[in-house]
Amino acid sequence: MAATPVEAIEPAGRRLPAFATWRALTILVTAMAVLGPLSLILYQSLLTAPFFDPSKQLGLGAYEFIFRDADFWKALRNSLLISTGMTLIAVPLGALLAFVMERTDLPGKRWFEPFILVPSFVSPMVLSFGFVVAAGPVGFYTVWVQELFGIEQAPWGLYSIAAMAVIAGLTHVPNVYVYASAALKNLGSDVEEAARVAGASPLRVALEVSLPLIMPSLLFSAVLVFFLGIELFGLPLVLGDPEGILVMATYLYKLTNKLGVPSYHLMAAVAVCIVAITFPLVLMQRHLLQGARKYATIKGKAGRMKELPLGAWAWPAAALLATFVFVTVIVPISGIALRAFVTNWGFGVNLSEALTLESFRFVFHEPTHIRAILNTILVGVVGGALTVAWYTAIGFAGHRRNDGWSRFIDYLVLVPRAVPGLLAGLAFLWVFLFFPPLTPLRTTIFSVWLAYSVVWLAYGMRLISSSLMQVSPELEEAGRSVGASRGVISLQITLPLIRTGLMASWLLVFMIFEREYSTAVYLLAPGTEVIGAQLVSLWQGGAIDIVAALSLINIVLVGVGLAIALRFGVKLRD
Amino acid sequence: MAELTVENLHLTYGTNPILKGVSMVLNRGEVVSLLGPSGSGKTTLLRAVGGLESPHKGSIRIGEKVVFDGERGLEVPAEARNLGLVFQSYALWPHKTVADNVAFGLKLRKVSTGDIGTRVQKALDELSLGHLAQRFPHQLSGGQQQRVAIARALVYNPPVILMDEPLSNLDAKLREEARAWLRELIVEMQLSALVVTHDQAESMAMSDRILLLNNGVIEQQGTPQQMYDTPETLFTADFMGSNNRLPGKVAQVQDGHALLEGAGWKLWGRSRASTRNGGDGTGMIRLERMRVATGPGDNRIEPELTTSMFLGDKWEHIFHLGETTLRAHTAAALAKGRHWLEIPRDSFWVF
Repeated sequence: MAATPVEAIEPAGRRLPAFATWRALTILVTAMAVLGPLSLILYQSLLTAPFFDPSKQLGLGAYEFIFRDADFWKALRNSLLISTGMTLIAVPLGALLAFVMERTDLPGKRWFEPFILVPSFVSPMVLSFGFVVAAGPVGFYTVWVQELFGIEQAPWGLYSIAAMAVIAGLTHVPNVYVYASAALKNLGSDVEEAARVAGASPLRVALEVSLPLIMPSLLFSAVLVFFLGIELFGLPLVLGDPEGILVMATYLYKLTNKLGVPSYHLMAAVAVCIVAITFPLVLMQRHLLQGARKYATIKGKAGRMKELPLGAWAWPAAALLATFVFVTVIVPISGIALRAFVTNWGFGVNLSEALTLESFRFVFHEPTHIRAILNTILVGVVGGALTVAWYTAIGFAGHRRNDGWSRFIDYLVLVPRAVPGLLAGLAFLWVFLFFPPLTPLRTTIFSVWLAYSVVWLAYGMRLISSSLMQVSPELEEAGRSVGASRGVISLQITLPLIRTGLMASWLLVFMIFEREYSTAVYLLAPGTEVIGAQLVSLWQGGAIDIVAALSLINIVLVGVGLAIALRFGVKLRD
Repeated sequence: MAELTVENLHLTYGTNPILKGVSMVLNRGEVVSLLGPSGSGKTTLLRAVGGLESPHKGSIRIGEKVVFDGERGLEVPAEARNLGLVFQSYALWPHKTVADNVAFGLKLRKVSTGDIGTRVQKALDELSLGHLAQRFPHQLSGGQQQRVAIARALVYNPPVILMDEPLSNLDAKLREEARAWLRELIVEMQLSALVVTHDQAESMAMSDRILLLNNGVIEQQGTPQQMYDTPETLFTADFMGSNNRLPGKVAQVQDGHALLEGAGWKLWGRSRASTRNGGDGTGMIRLERMRVATGPGDNRIEPELTTSMFLGDKWEHIFHLGETTLRAHTAAALAKGRHWLEIPRDSFWVF
């Protein structure tokens, strides 16, 4: 063939600088949003008085004060006890449930999975409250059990450190479950089959092959549960209060009123102490995660694997699952659902006569509550979309780049993880007070949205980057080879490809924002009400009826998100 | 004596039938390959023998022991079948050293610790892995990992060893060496082995008998020579080598031979069971049986040479005869243009 050579068409001028500018801007804004509030906490903790007080001086007085306070040490001890207890409960149980769900032929197990995950989507404040109204001293279940068996006292109590550790342990099972089941899924079934063929019984395979191989993931989730234990706020606030049991976060919260005047410097010192415990744990987790990936390098093809026949063990396995779901999900949620329709409950009250819509009527007559509901929806739907857009921008800023900035983003994203929501809310409150230009925004829902977005940065970035990682690098490299700049590739190749992943992230972020409560506690002001923070404040005021009604509304909002997610087959975990 | 007997095995994934009645026998000291394209059911058959898939009909016997019987609802679990299985991915346990990987099967068989040590070392030495005993799998090369996987399957002397594409994870050059090494090992140790492969050259080189699977049934079985030289079906003929196909009309059938006619050509070849006089037919000949001739003659055609490729040990040429493309090898280069090609009638099958 005598073909004439065709003249090459050069790609049009590349607009790389535009992408670089956007990247720099994204990193700068994120760094300010993450590091600004934290630095402010650190600075405040080193002052002898609140930062707005003219008499403030640099000094360690705040630390000296709290270290001399016996309550601080008690709270620290309680936090460590509860964290240890809940880790010991959540890790084995989560691993066991993951094994049953991933490896056995238990009938109807797919139907169970959303229920196992429910506790991670319902606000801990709401769940704890649910436990009180269902199984507290005059809870529905307590009364029923007492009437049924004719006993004076229910054989359980909620207001002790042990009970808190058990409840916290049960409600944190999903955190372990998602990591353990993902690890089991990723574990090539061939290594287990090889052991079976070599002559090992299923139990032996589970103990000698599967367990050691998912151990890094279990350790990872153990550290996660432990530091979530240090951060616990809603649960000890509800269950610890009656007996005056304080943990770190509730100690911090009570400190506000302790001296009668704003004691920001003391709160900051406690906050620094909490972060000093959690941040090393976060770094340790990151280290463990790399360990978890060690085994993933030699992975067989993840073929379909024959499920392990349970035989007679199906009953104990089903009983375990059912008990877990009953105690952790059904009891508290049914408690709230009932309590919301009852204003008057105790011994000898006939439930069918006590049913009323009074609480809801009250909620919908009170502008603050209506605003709280609307704000909660607004911050979840619109705020959630904006948050996903922000996270996506961060994702692109670090995507397939291996320079210093990418590593900086990696660590930057980790930082908020170590900061409990309560502290983050406090820090943002101070940011809004400290910088006069921002002060007008303080009474708008923007302040809550910003704090939420920063608190959930690490969680959200995992969602975004798992979507980004699914795009095969060849697709982007092919874009470059035909002459597209990074910016064009990001917008026209990668972004359309991760569209579904982003929609799913939006939904998950919506649910998380509906559930969030502690971050908004200190930001609560006329105009910034959200249900979560409102619940904390109403609980303090003892308005149980309203708390029940608002809790139910909160559960419904999360439930709507959950229903949409299940309807569209969104994976509830990464 | 039969070490493994499979009778009329059926297996279905959901509503999708994978095996539709497969029967086979593996005798002691024999290597049988399961050959077939992807989706033919060869790996499924191997996994069913290993106890990793559940068939719904038929039976499997290992020696005298029935390990699966659909009618009686009997299914012996994988760990009680006492087989050795070499996985395509090797499936080495990443948290155990090479020695521990190999020792695991012995440990489960309650062999004493001292014995385990000697037997593991012996197995590793036989496969030239002795010096790697304390390494972890990720510290080994692909070829070494493959040998560890084999050692692990052999160490407890199972009566039958199953291999799922044992060479496919090695790169091309290493694969040829490993093929020779593996055949020698199997012969030397007098193993009875069932080997899955999708590569016909590999199956011919490694095995005493080949079972060609197509779409869940056995298309043809026999020794490598039988499979290569006397294919019974077009599928077998096509799968077993590199071929030229010539579509045409069957003009005449007599004495085991048939005359195939196309536009401007007529060729005699061997008729097969499916050859129908007066119907459409497909002629097929292995590439290496094509001969370039100097002039016209019996069973010759005159296509046009358009492209030549130098392959090192020979030349490959591409000819066009009307719509049909033909390939042939020669030792020396050929000029472009028309050439005479001889199609030896005993090497040309008409299906």
